[in-house]
Amino acid sequence: MVRSDDNRLDQTFAALANTTRRAILARLAEGEATVNELAEPFNMSLPAISKHIKVLERAGLIIQGQKAQYRPCTINTTPLQEISSWTEQYRHIWEERFDQMDDYINQLNPKETSNE
Amino acid sequence: MSNATISKEDAVVVERTFEAGVDLIWQMWTDPTHFKNWYGPKGFTIPVADMDLRVGGRRLICMASPDGSMKMWTVGEYKEIIPNERLVYTESPSDENGNMVSPSAMGMPEGYPAVTEVIVVLEDLGGRTKMTLTHAGVPASSGAGGGWEQAFNKLADYMETVGKS
Repeated sequence: MVRSDDNRLDQTFAALANTTRRAILARLAEGEATVNELAEPFNMSLPAISKHIKVLERAGLIIQGQKAQYRPCTINTTPLQEISSWTEQYRHIWEERFDQMDDYINQLNPKETSNE
Repeated sequence: MSNATISKEDAVVVERTFEAGVDLIWQMWTDPTHFKNWYGPKGFTIPVADMDLRVGGRRLICMASPDGSMKMWTVGEYKEIIPNERLVYTESPSDENGNMVSPSAMGMPEGYPAVTEVIVVLEDLGGRTKMTLTHAGVPASSGAGGGWEQAFNKLADYMETVGKS
């Protein structure tokens, strides 16, 4: 469970690490929009915008409707809430600390430390 | 979602296996000399690690930014001490004298509980050690949270509003 959560978080962070995708989310925060509408403010081809939308969709940040032609996109804030919780921020902090513990242990000669 | 900020279920669980004996990993947590060498964000120092290692004993830690301009203090109490097996302590943002302060005033993430509990469980794998860390929020109603419960309910409500916009 922890592992799949981590994968999802990686996807969320990766999806957010792009100016165009953040702008798309900001637009969707105001309400649903079609791919055409989303593409409007950008100097970008529809396929390029669609690619960004796919990344956001895979990260669970947007949901694309199934209505044949228009397929309007809506924002899904659940992954954003996950990365804003203190526990998820602290998971990264602890992982970093334990990397440092591992480095420190590797520097130590265990035989010298056992006499403390 | 918002209620989770003060719920006991709201916890970080991190597992690691280290290429070191269980006694050394125990010292990583309980010997200030070792503790100072790994704890804290990259580049930070730990100028103070007062560990009164007995149940009910106080634990006061200071983390300092690389240039020393920012200091973050945390205070807590040891709850369980079973050498080489299990360590439980509480943790709260504090000032240098160990008086609790509001987490938000200390720049903690939004929704950070006033009191958290850190549980370290070690498993001897014969020369290697499996470590399971659980960092959990303590419900404010347990009394330890003091006057912060109201503030956190407000914050939880606010976060819900933000999440819906």
